[in-house]
Amino acid sequence: MSIDRRKIVTLGGIDRREFLTWSGGLVSAAFLAACDSRGPKAADRLLNYAERKNRGLERALFRHTSMDKVQRGAYDAGNKLPSYFVSDTVPAWDESARGKWALEVSGLVANPVRLSLEDLQRLPRVSNRVNHYCVEGWTAVETWTGVPFTELAKLVRVAPDAHYVDFQSFDDDYHESWDIESAMHAQTVVAYGLDGKMLEPAHGAPARVYSPVKLGYKNTKYLTKIVFMPEMNGGYWSDQGYEWYGGV
Amino acid sequence: MNVVAIIIMVGSGLRIFNAYPAFARKGEMFCCYPFEHKPIPAWLTFGGWLGGARHWHFAMMWVLVVNGLIYLAFVYLHGEWRDLVPRKGDIRDSWQMAKFYAFKRKDHPHQGKHNALQKTAYFLMPVFGLLLVLTGIAIWKPVQLAWLTALFGGYVWARYWHFVAMVVIVVLSVVHVFMVFAVDPYSLPSMFTGNYDEKLSPEARNARPFYHLFPPRARPAPPPEVT
Repeated sequence: MSIDRRKIVTLGGIDRREFLTWSGGLVSAAFLAACDSRGPKAADRLLNYAERKNRGLERALFRHTSMDKVQRGAYDAGNKLPSYFVSDTVPAWDESARGKWALEVSGLVANPVRLSLEDLQRLPRVSNRVNHYCVEGWTAVETWTGVPFTELAKLVRVAPDAHYVDFQSFDDDYHESWDIESAMHAQTVVAYGLDGKMLEPAHGAPARVYSPVKLGYKNTKYLTKIVFMPEMNGGYWSDQGYEWYGGV
Repeated sequence: MNVVAIIIMVGSGLRIFNAYPAFARKGEMFCCYPFEHKPIPAWLTFGGWLGGARHWHFAMMWVLVVNGLIYLAFVYLHGEWRDLVPRKGDIRDSWQMAKFYAFKRKDHPHQGKHNALQKTAYFLMPVFGLLLVLTGIAIWKPVQLAWLTALFGGYVWARYWHFVAMVVIVVLSVVHVFMVFAVDPYSLPSMFTGNYDEKLSPEARNARPFYHLFPPRARPAPPPEVT
């Protein structure tokens, strides 16, 4: 194998025009590659690795004492609060077909229960005026009324090896699983009221989980089941590529 | 590597922004952004969709944070920060420099390692870089690190300052790259090697933008040598 020595000298001295051509080409190539593409497929493993590491950091940063506070002077979103669901039409519980709605709380618990809406309303209640943080970047101030999640946990007596909680719904197969710390945060509620009124179907009636410590998509609406689990169970949006942790 | 990382960071950030291309809290108006609800053109964005852009953004941020820390350590340990900290008269000198570039002043103002405009720009870069990192953390963890978010005026404003700091960095970078090619392409190899030939410096050549492309006769005469 022979090496062209002249070539090496040229490169070492860097002919300016050649250099400009090359660097310009590289930068434009980077730009072209960047144009609204998802980026190279090979990067997926690296991105997943970064997500796992970020999740570890976020869970380490989590404090039960960190509370969401609404800024002074902030207005309620009221009817400007967007309504999201994955079904084709607003999901509504059909009593004639499915019987009376009830929330099942089960899994790794000593005392699994089924709670009707009236049962939920008889449990201790809080009203939290808090921010809603959407993954899209908007926030909305609302007052959510419901049962503190910790009260439900007390009621069913959660086993010590329950590290995750799955919130399931009747909005098709929508569900999202959480780390138990976030679920046990003081501002996490199983909400049946919004802004002083009973929750409407547009926002997750009869009941939904609501917490300002999680992004909007983690807060399952149209609840049917709360299941305590030893392992995480993904989720509707998490499985499609949004961060599983989704914590704020 | 930084160029690519910054392009990806800006592109994915703009893709994230496009999911809600406005700053107002729901049910409110925002005073200070004229393009509320107008999305950024897709060709400027990166990541393909919101989730993808978020993954790129949250991964690439570590590359830039680590590089930023290495840069700051380097500048500090080598004492080069002395060339960058603002001093009395820098604003006046920057104005003179701007006049020179605008053909309003004949001779190149005397400079040290960097001219006054450069100094200002290279000082502002890390300052706004730091602002980007801090406002970024503030909108990443507005509940867990609520004190930081509050420092920037709450979530809505922290998001706004994050955007503004990005625009400043992009403008400074574009001007910087333009000036490298227009005024001092001779410095390009030194970006990689660290060596620099003083004889080819813009001051020695009395160089204005695209000076090297002018026919020799049209070039403004360099000032007489001062001995």
